[in-house]
Amino acid sequence: MIYHIKKGGEIKKMHIPDGYLGPATCAVMFAVMIPIWYTAFKRVGEKLGPKEVPMLAVLSAVSFLVMMFNWPVPDGTTAHMVGGTLIAIILGPWAALIGVTVALVIQAFFFGDGGITALGANCFNMAFVLPFVGYYLYRLLEQRIGKIAASALAAYVAINIAAICAAIEFGIQPYIAPGYCPYGLNLSIPAMAFAHITTAGPVAAVVTGAVIGYLEKSRPDLLELTKIAPEVRG
Amino acid sequence: METWLKRALIIIAIFVAIVPLGILGTWNCGDAWGEWGEVQDSAHGINWTPESYFGAPLPDYNVEGWDNKLMASVGYWISAIIGIALTMLVVLGIVKAQEMIRER
Repeated sequence: MIYHIKKGGEIKKMHIPDGYLGPATCAVMFAVMIPIWYTAFKRVGEKLGPKEVPMLAVLSAVSFLVMMFNWPVPDGTTAHMVGGTLIAIILGPWAALIGVTVALVIQAFFFGDGGITALGANCFNMAFVLPFVGYYLYRLLEQRIGKIAASALAAYVAINIAAICAAIEFGIQPYIAPGYCPYGLNLSIPAMAFAHITTAGPVAAVVTGAVIGYLEKSRPDLLELTKIAPEVRG
Repeated sequence: METWLKRALIIIAIFVAIVPLGILGTWNCGDAWGEWGEVQDSAHGINWTPESYFGAPLPDYNVEGWDNKLMASVGYWISAIIGIALTMLVVLGIVKAQEMIRER
């Protein structure tokens, strides 16, 4: 199946662009995100220690950077990891929400990667769903299968759930907003799932597991930050 | 500077150095699913171009017209450095703004 025309050497965009989601979907996603952003904003300054603030800045930059590494998917498309689970494990899901949101906003405004009208949706998928799923799954598994396996599995599952959210947002358009994304759920879900099960998921699992494994050996204290004040970030 | 911060910045610098792999490794791939500039799909009878509403200073992480692999890599480097600096500044700015609001 050939869906698209690629202009020579064009760098592939990575998030839902403008023009794919109808106005209703864009509005609903912003409406959902505004209270979530507000909560994260209130929590992040109150709860991050002085040492953790530069750490969040660095980890947000890591998220921006890992999203620039596009990986080839066996079906000829590309996919990338996000880094949301990694930030969430170290600094908590609310901090991760801020970090990934900032990276996505800069990608949208400066690099045209991800639509500005789709920012609510992209942030919902990658800055909210992904780090929260990753964080709670990690916490659930950490004692049972160890930190490395738990972080790898959490990152794998979280990016796949985020991808399914994106696929649903794409796939409902033909039914509610003709003229926007032309493919329905029957095509969007298998395509997004395939890219993330085969490519972005394994990349996220290996990178997240490797960083957590390195920290567990060299700086185990950095993996306990969210436990010092669990009410705060969890 | 704290050791962890120094180490983290060195690791980021190494990954910035190799960031062109992010485009060179997928140079001949199609777009990510749902991110096409144009769709011509005779199998499904679809001929569609998404509307675009806004421009960006460095669209697709590149300087416009830098289309060959070398120049696109340079554009990618520039984009990575600008993007990382902006991300860190905005995160620090948000935390600072929150502190200021709280103190009032």
